[in-house]
Amino acid sequence: MITIENLCKKFDNQIILHNIHLEIKQSEVVGLIGSSGSGKTTLLRCIHGLETNEGLIQRRGRTGFIFQQFHLFPHMNVLDNIIYAPIKTLKQSKAKAIATAQALLVRMGLWEKHLCTPQQLSGGQKQRVAIIRALAMDPSILLLDEPTSALDPMLVQEVITLVHELKNEGLTIIIASHDHVFLKQVATRIIFLENGKLLST
Amino acid sequence: MEIYILQGIWVTLQYTLVAFLGGSIIGTTLAFLKYNHKAVWLINAYISFMRGTPLLVQLTLVYFVLPSLLGVSISVFVAGAIAFSVNSSAYIAEIIRAGLNNVDRGQFEASQALGISKFHMWKDIIFPQALRTIMPALINEAITLVKETALISTLGEQDIMRRAQLVSAEQYTYLQPLLTAAASYYLLTFLLEQMSKFYDYHRKPL
Repeated sequence: MITIENLCKKFDNQIILHNIHLEIKQSEVVGLIGSSGSGKTTLLRCIHGLETNEGLIQRRGRTGFIFQQFHLFPHMNVLDNIIYAPIKTLKQSKAKAIATAQALLVRMGLWEKHLCTPQQLSGGQKQRVAIIRALAMDPSILLLDEPTSALDPMLVQEVITLVHELKNEGLTIIIASHDHVFLKQVATRIIFLENGKLLST
Repeated sequence: MEIYILQGIWVTLQYTLVAFLGGSIIGTTLAFLKYNHKAVWLINAYISFMRGTPLLVQLTLVYFVLPSLLGVSISVFVAGAIAFSVNSSAYIAEIIRAGLNNVDRGQFEASQALGISKFHMWKDIIFPQALRTIMPALINEAITLVKETALISTLGEQDIMRRAQLVSAEQYTYLQPLLTAAASYYLLTFLLEQMSKFYDYHRKPL
């Protein structure tokens, strides 16, 4: 699903990512582990195309990105947050976008919140809305940046369950985290990143 | 005679509306350019000049000098519309830029990550959020404009101020006409102030 060759990334002559080679197959759940500043987030951002970089990144299908801070649109309600991009970017009809959003919201137990604004939601609910917003764009690859950093332990189990479900539906998932315990439960493969280099795969 | 002065409210309102609209269009453009680091030096010079020279000077420059430069005659209304718009655009540009600076960088990233076009991002994601924080400051600028349009009376336009002066001259009394003028201006600014309070009260926190 994803092929990365010779990926390098510099910020002002400081090397953030150094010669990354990575091959990821469909339905893999790859855990990207490393201390803060190791380049995890930057690697995810490069894969999604949010950063310019040297080297080659090939991906099949769309990628969806879930930010650590979620970055929901605070001036829109939950439903509008989800349907905005499918309508504007994928040119879906409003009816179709709403149907997709409704199905996802019902599935995640958030339908009764669809008219709420993001600031009326708890951290866990915000995260699920962010995941739904990404899923509504029909991605084949999902990138999660530190998904457990804002959650209490009870909710971490929910994320694990959800990731397993999405994997079984054929999604390829990459998760950047510094939470070993979480990644061991959720990932099919764990990759170590240190000072911008991959240590082992 | 009070009716005659009160009729000037509509004239003052016309200048205010046109100036606020023009100022917003120019100001938004300048703020957008400056935010994106385009022509920053030029825009700063423009803003500095507009804020650093008297509006009365700018107004008379537009009315008496611009026509000879362009070789056309312009009406008092057009001169007022240009001078007030251009002047308020400098203030509005800075207000809007502050609003844009207030929008979380993550909002740009989220838009980009969802493949939202630049146009839609600015129109539907960034500007609406900026507007929410600067609404009170924008209404403040409108209040300032209401009062500053009184300068158009110096060019003979029959706005609230000019009408009050005419009545004063005719009746050899200042008190009543000027109080009527003050009350007329206050009516307009009071309404704007209430709008601002209403907006502030009903605004949902972001």
